Amino acid sequence: MAAPVPPGAPRPGSNTPQAPPPNYVPNIRGTPDGLADNMQNLNLYRPPMTSNPVSRPPPFGQPPPFASSAPSQGIPGPSPSFARPGPPPGATVRPAGPPSGPPVSTLPPNLGPGRPTGPPPGQPPAFGMRPAAPHSSFSSSLGGAPAAPLSGVPPPGGSPPARPLGPPPPPTLGARPSASLSPSPSPFTSPPMSAPPPVPQTGVPSNLMSNGPPAFSGGTLPGPPRFPPVGGSMPQPPLGPPTMRTPPGPVAQPQPPYPMASQGIMQPPTSPFAAPSWQMQSQQQVAPPPPVPGPSQVPPRMYSMSPPLPNQSMTTTISPAVGQTGAPLVGPSKIDPNQIPRPSPGSSVILHETRQGNQATIPPPATSDYIVRDTGNCSPRYMRCTINQIPFTADLLGTSGMQLAVIVQPLALPHPSEEPIQVVDFGESGPVRCSRCKAYINPFMKFVDQGRRFICNLCGFSDETPRDYHCNLGPDGRRRDADERAELCRGTVEFVATKEFMVREPMPAVYFFLIDVSMNAVQTGATAAACSAINQVISDLPEGPRTLVGVATFDSTIHFYNLKRALQQPLMLIVPDVHDVYTPLQTDVIVPLSECRQHLELLLESIPTMFQNNRTSESAFGAAIKAAFLAMKSTGGKLLVFQSVLPSVGICALSAREAEGRTNMSAGEKEAHKLLQPADKAFKELAVEFAEYQVCVDLFVTTQTYVDIASISVIPRTTGGQVYYYYPFSALSDPAKLFNDLRWNITRPQGFEAVMRVRCSQGIQVQEYYGNFCKRIPTDVDLPGIDCDKTFMVTLKHDDKLQDGSECTFQCALLYTTVYGQRRIRVITLSLPVTSMLSNLFRAADLDTQFCCFLKQAASEIPSKPLPLVREQVTNLCINALYSYRKFCATVSSSGQLILPEALKLLPLYTLALTKSTGLRTDGKIDERSFWINYVSSLSCPLAIPLVYPRMVAIHDLDSKESEESVIPSFLPLSSEHISEEGIYLLENGYDCLIYVGEAVSPETVRRLFGVASVDEIPTLQHDNPLSKRLNEVVNEIRRQRCSYLRLKLCRKGDQSGMLFYSYMVEDKSAGGYSYVEFLIHVHRQIQNKMTS
Amino acid sequence: MAEFLDLESQDGVRMPWNVIPGTKQEAANAVVPVAVIYTPIKHFPSSAAPLLPYQPQRCRTCRSVLNPFCIVDFAAKIWICPFCFQRNHFPPHYASISDDNLPAELFPQYTTIEYASTPDPTATVPPVFLFVVDTCVIEEEIGYLRSALLQAVELLPENSLVGLITFGTFVHVHELGFAQVPKTYVFKGSKDVSKDQLLEQMCFFANKPKPAVGVIAGARDGLSRESISRFLVPASECEFTLNSVLEELQKDPWPVPADQRATRCTSTALSIAASLLGACVPGSAARIMAFIGGPATEGPAPIVSKQLTEPIRSHKDLDKDSVPHYHKCVKFYDGLAKQLVHQGHVLDLFACALDQVGIAELKTAVERTGGLVVLAESFGHSVFKDSLKRIFQASNYDLGLSSNGIFEINCSKDLKVQGIIGPCATLEKKTPLCSDTVIGQGGTSAWKMCGLDKSTSLCLFFDVVRKETPDATVQSTSNQFYFQFLTYYQSNSGEMRLRVTTLSRRWVAGPGSSQDLIAGFDQEAAAIVMARQVSFKMETEAEFDPIRWLDKALINLCSRFGEYQKDSPTSFSLSPRLSIFPQFMFHLRRSQFVQVFNNSPDETAYFRMILNRENVANSVVMVQPSLITYSFHSGPEPALLDVAAIAADRILLLDSFFTVVIFHGSTIAQWRKAGYHNEPEHQAFAQLLRAPHDDAESIIKERFPVPRLVVCDQHGSQARFLLAKLNPSATYNSDAALPGGDIIFTDDVSFEVFLDHLQRLVVQ
Repeated sequence: MAAPVPPGAPRPGSNTPQAPPPNYVPNIRGTPDGLADNMQNLNLYRPPMTSNPVSRPPPFGQPPPFASSAPSQGIPGPSPSFARPGPPPGATVRPAGPPSGPPVSTLPPNLGPGRPTGPPPGQPPAFGMRPAAPHSSFSSSLGGAPAAPLSGVPPPGGSPPARPLGPPPPPTLGARPSASLSPSPSPFTSPPMSAPPPVPQTGVPSNLMSNGPPAFSGGTLPGPPRFPPVGGSMPQPPLGPPTMRTPPGPVAQPQPPYPMASQGIMQPPTSPFAAPSWQMQSQQQVAPPPPVPGPSQVPPRMYSMSPPLPNQSMTTTISPAVGQTGAPLVGPSKIDPNQIPRPSPGSSVILHETRQGNQATIPPPATSDYIVRDTGNCSPRYMRCTINQIPFTADLLGTSGMQLAVIVQPLALPHPSEEPIQVVDFGESGPVRCSRCKAYINPFMKFVDQGRRFICNLCGFSDETPRDYHCNLGPDGRRRDADERAELCRGTVEFVATKEFMVREPMPAVYFFLIDVSMNAVQTGATAAACSAINQVISDLPEGPRTLVGVATFDSTIHFYNLKRALQQPLMLIVPDVHDVYTPLQTDVIVPLSECRQHLELLLESIPTMFQNNRTSESAFGAAIKAAFLAMKSTGGKLLVFQSVLPSVGICALSAREAEGRTNMSAGEKEAHKLLQPADKAFKELAVEFAEYQVCVDLFVTTQTYVDIASISVIPRTTGGQVYYYYPFSALSDPAKLFNDLRWNITRPQGFEAVMRVRCSQGIQVQEYYGNFCKRIPTDVDLPGIDCDKTFMVTLKHDDKLQDGSECTFQCALLYTTVYGQRRIRVITLSLPVTSMLSNLFRAADLDTQFCCFLKQAASEIPSKPLPLVREQVTNLCINALYSYRKFCATVSSSGQLILPEALKLLPLYTLALTKSTGLRTDGKIDERSFWINYVSSLSCPLAIPLVYPRMVAIHDLDSKESEESVIPSFLPLSSEHISEEGIYLLENGYDCLIYVGEAVSPETVRRLFGVASVDEIPTLQHDNPLSKRLNEVVNEIRRQRCSYLRLKLCRKGDQSGMLFYSYMVEDKSAGGYSYVEFLIHVHRQIQNKMTS
Repeated sequence: MAEFLDLESQDGVRMPWNVIPGTKQEAANAVVPVAVIYTPIKHFPSSAAPLLPYQPQRCRTCRSVLNPFCIVDFAAKIWICPFCFQRNHFPPHYASISDDNLPAELFPQYTTIEYASTPDPTATVPPVFLFVVDTCVIEEEIGYLRSALLQAVELLPENSLVGLITFGTFVHVHELGFAQVPKTYVFKGSKDVSKDQLLEQMCFFANKPKPAVGVIAGARDGLSRESISRFLVPASECEFTLNSVLEELQKDPWPVPADQRATRCTSTALSIAASLLGACVPGSAARIMAFIGGPATEGPAPIVSKQLTEPIRSHKDLDKDSVPHYHKCVKFYDGLAKQLVHQGHVLDLFACALDQVGIAELKTAVERTGGLVVLAESFGHSVFKDSLKRIFQASNYDLGLSSNGIFEINCSKDLKVQGIIGPCATLEKKTPLCSDTVIGQGGTSAWKMCGLDKSTSLCLFFDVVRKETPDATVQSTSNQFYFQFLTYYQSNSGEMRLRVTTLSRRWVAGPGSSQDLIAGFDQEAAAIVMARQVSFKMETEAEFDPIRWLDKALINLCSRFGEYQKDSPTSFSLSPRLSIFPQFMFHLRRSQFVQVFNNSPDETAYFRMILNRENVANSVVMVQPSLITYSFHSGPEPALLDVAAIAADRILLLDSFFTVVIFHGSTIAQWRKAGYHNEPEHQAFAQLLRAPHDDAESIIKERFPVPRLVVCDQHGSQARFLLAKLNPSATYNSDAALPGGDIIFTDDVSFEVFLDHLQRLVVQ
């Protein structure tokens, strides 16, 4: 585990855990602004730190050891040096609103002064200061390109939070991590300290773990692009100080209950958005590509590791007012809603090297736009950890109140500019593996004894190097060929699987389409939509003789079609026995695409008419999938089911529990969550059988009624598939989305018959996997289907104490078959430093990942626990972490202050949003909640955030904002204060897209956007004027980013659609929960209670 | 003999005893049972049996129909039923009846007469043909089958309804009424589907709710016409669909491992067919025509397992009761038979395979429904092809297929009916007429004949229950037994008919009655009654020894009616009325009905089913084939069925019903090979050669199933078809070779030896 450290290097921390504080530290942090916070915290504990011989081994040529610099940062003194340019975007916990006089008094002293006076929101001066410095430094180092973003963006970050309050009393703010904790792990040692670039504070995407030179390119902009600057660029005239008063409670709920929401329909079906065409797999070549990114990487380039920037100093400056950490919150009403932490936008591309100076770097936020260079650790796209340093004991982890888990997305889409994953072929012998734990060779395996042996970084076992893999070591102790061999220098590689990894020939790509043709499905147009979508995607199926297709339809019986070419017409074969199903033919039901294309097209065209007069309202869904499964059993493959009604007959028939549920609910809410559990075990048993035979089921639910998603979704979840939910299905607006979803489903990079396992270094073990898979043995998950969108959460636990200063490695191995029938093993390795310091943990916390874990855990618990309990648990998770930070890391300050760790400052906001999200609300339909739970289970980090905290942009003035480098304008906070009735807003959460048209919008704008003067009817979006074009650009860009064709819904005030829109205004007070400000106060109180108790 | 034929041509009746032993004891002593072989809808010229367009007059108590044997009081307008002696009044429209003005049913010569009721055009359902086709056969056979079916479809009556089911591993019910694409319902072969399940699974109630209660069957009981017409389509409308389905008919696609038989779910297919018809057209004339190409291996009634290592059952296995599936199968098909009988539908079986297909098990289902059965080696064989054609072809030789028959009897009080051996099923109508002892379908006085044709013949067994009474003289006044046979049926034109045959037979009792009995003895009928009975006993009685039973019967009969001096075999003689009966018995003992071990159970079942439905003349040919010789010396003449009939310069024509053999003596064969018959100077030879062919053709033309024609030469391998039937008077251990020069390699006793033994035993 400590592999990177050369033998001779001093390892300070290792033997003396309690020793002085970590060497590296302060600047490290995953999130923007983090630096600043850290610095402040540092102050407290500085003394100990210094004592620590932190030195980083010179061999690496790192900047001066931290130790040296560290001292300089004296606790109090240093503050000036840290002139923090702007307040970190997020830093923000805002004290109460300025305007009101009285509140002021309540504010903590230190903050007090500055606040009220200054124009709260964007304070010009603040901005000014902040960016300037960094930019220059950056831009120089960066290519031109990045520079631009920087300049533009800074404001965002700095924006409102500008807390440039006078003399920032840094001390007040949290003591940072470094402090209390024991000696920091040596490996990272010093260099970091000294080096920190000035920039980082801002957003810092780059975060090296220890020190490193800032990896990020657009330093300031780290923020995820989607979050608009809080105050910044957005025109917020209305939001003046006046609005800032306390919680905007009342505002939020304007809508009178109206009957039906009119869904805005957007694009005509004919304009499918172009799905990004990632052809990851096809691009790969076995021959290792040049180690360095190819020419493709144009835009952002890594800047060379410039000398470490003195970032630390930067951070400090921020401090005071910023409360980077702690925003003092006192009186409930005193908080300025515009100054509380909000996601900061960041639109420029960040360059990220996964390791620098042999230290893991802190990855940029999952939601940001970044380009990764794999320098040893895997790209954070594939695997990221909730904390980028690993606590050395379970106790330490427990103390932190955070969770340790990794989020794995093994086939994640790379950025187009990234170097493709290299494929390594070891020939017949197969990849080199540890003979004990079977870990795959990776950059952290340490070769010793002249390269004759290697030590496994996961289990510590020493193995002999296979003869033909032997290579001498260089003076630095590395193999001489380490840089040429992808498996020795890349965190992610693919091995060509040998026979040993196959129980049979790699399976062909099998696609079986199963279409509901019951009366409802036909009459609502769902059948026609499905057939048409399938017909259109046939041409997107992989070419070649190994692509097999089949079609079946079902109502109360199951209809297969013999597509064999010799027949004049497809022959319909009906399986009428839905209690004991079977496949009517062994062959000919699934045939090579090349042999049946015409028949298939003909058939798909005629199915809707064939069943035009179908009067069968029953649906034998369970039997149908079982029958289709039997047809596919010999090969496995993808089963795509288009389902429209509740399965009512045959095996796995369900009853309309929802109706029963309602009556029960009135009786008592106790059992309400039972409806979110599968009705019985039948589907689960079925699903396990499917998984065993490598059948992956995707479910497209095109319905207008209750279909008991809780029960039927078990099938896709267990087989590595996915549920798509079109409710209420509209034949006008949904076919386009259905087509695009289907197309993406089929064309996205994916694999079949996969098995995944995550291995951890000794001392840590996998506790649980979460996601869509089938688990038959404890260590592996079976994935009949795996694709680039599927993400797994893997929770970890300590089973032993780790060695401080060592590294802890996580290795995810995914064995799968590509759509072209190659068997591959994708090995994703992430090696993170082990720390014994709590503050390090907070500094290295990864907000997006952590929140993603919250979300997934909450989702998995909703069906089994009463909702209030789940909400409370979520809130407590948040509170515990913050409490731990407050108690152990923050400087002692007024108890009246709420102090947030910089890295996690958005946690309260997200937590609040989560408690108000669809799945945790009681007012939603059961199916919608079930879908939400199901959607979350395989959701990736970058999509998890917008799901609960959607991004909202104003679109009525799109054309007036030309300057932005990003297509998507900056985002508005999700608060009704930011919505003007004269505006039109677009809100998207990665799945749905709502367009809210205010009541007082100028007809001209409406006409330009929608082509009609009033939006009663369904508008089209494509019109020949700049505004409309801009809107289309925006929508297309969102779709591209989300890899999802968002269904556009029109929302208008005064009806249900408007209520839907307002339900996303999570910062508002609502029937379901606190306003943001109130929530902060609540959190604060809870922490205070804990502190005192 | 001729008088018996006359009686048959008048009433379709043959009886072994035309004078009936008058008491129970007498009847028992008579050995050959009191029986009637009756051909219910035998075709008569209309002068012999007029068709009356009105309803029959029936007796108030016994429901018998007014007939020439009734005593009519013209003055009182009263008739007395000869069965129950009930006095019945004539209805008003018979008012003009008088001695000179008799209705047809009272004409003495019209002992057989037919009533027709005008059919209700709305209620009649046209005939239904449901083809059930086995696809587990080789492609070549599929090809034959396809062309045979296509031809059959063309021949179907325009208005008839057609359905199609194919099966192999699965059962495919073709929805011929669905126009857009060919559509089939696929049922799992291994699972029996009940009618209710079928109704549900085939979506018969998609458009309207299923009635909560009540029988669901047919349009009147809640099924919509549309849903019925999905599967049963008028022949005129579905020709295209049917043809396209048939043209695409393919071998069952499921792979068959080399060590296994094909998975063939015959029983499931038949069960589904029955249920489908039961649901759609209960009670109307419908035939399931099953074309089967191999043994059933799947479903509720497999006759053999899929493993080829398990051989198909033989008679030996059946005797040992070591066939695992047999009883289950028989039980299944019994059930199917009941269902079909209940619905009034017919199962026809066309078994074409070198292997057995399970006719032995299917026998009950076919026989009780009155179905046709054809056994051939291949769907390409003329036996199958021509037989199938015969069924649909309207010509002089049509089968006169009718349906929905109900057969009832009335008879005098002193007679009880024991049952029927023949293609019918009991309706379980218990009446005082029923005897306690049961033979065949018994315990009833009414039978269902789902399918019947003009040659269908039933063999009824009677029990004489009249006790010997002291006052014999009193009886003499009415020493007549009366029989009345009532046959309701639907003719192939859809018309409902009632045929009534009333018979009267004298009975005799007491000493001296022997001569009367002998005078009334019909040897042929007796032989056939014995044949049916022995077959039946072989099937139903365990440990039954048919040879012994037949021998004993023959000996008893001879000792009862022969003339001899005790212990003097040479003194034995038989009346001419009885004289050839021993010969029939000799050939019966050697026939396929008794000597089953040369045949498979399927063949035996097949032969017996045909025996049980054919009339006496045809049956006699089965038992004792006819042999005709052709030579230059004389015209065609019958020859003794003996190996001695073979001569080098003769042509023999053997008709054993199932096969027709033309046998050329060795000289003739040489000439034929030399091609003399093609030369003008040998016209006579050509004629000689052609004569047996012409005769064979005329035999074949009339017969159903179409017999197999074998043309062979002396000493050729095919000659075995002839030799097997000949009396082995010359065998390899005979001393003197016969002039014909042929011998038979057998240890069987010859007729002479048999007779010697018989005489010896009789006189003891």
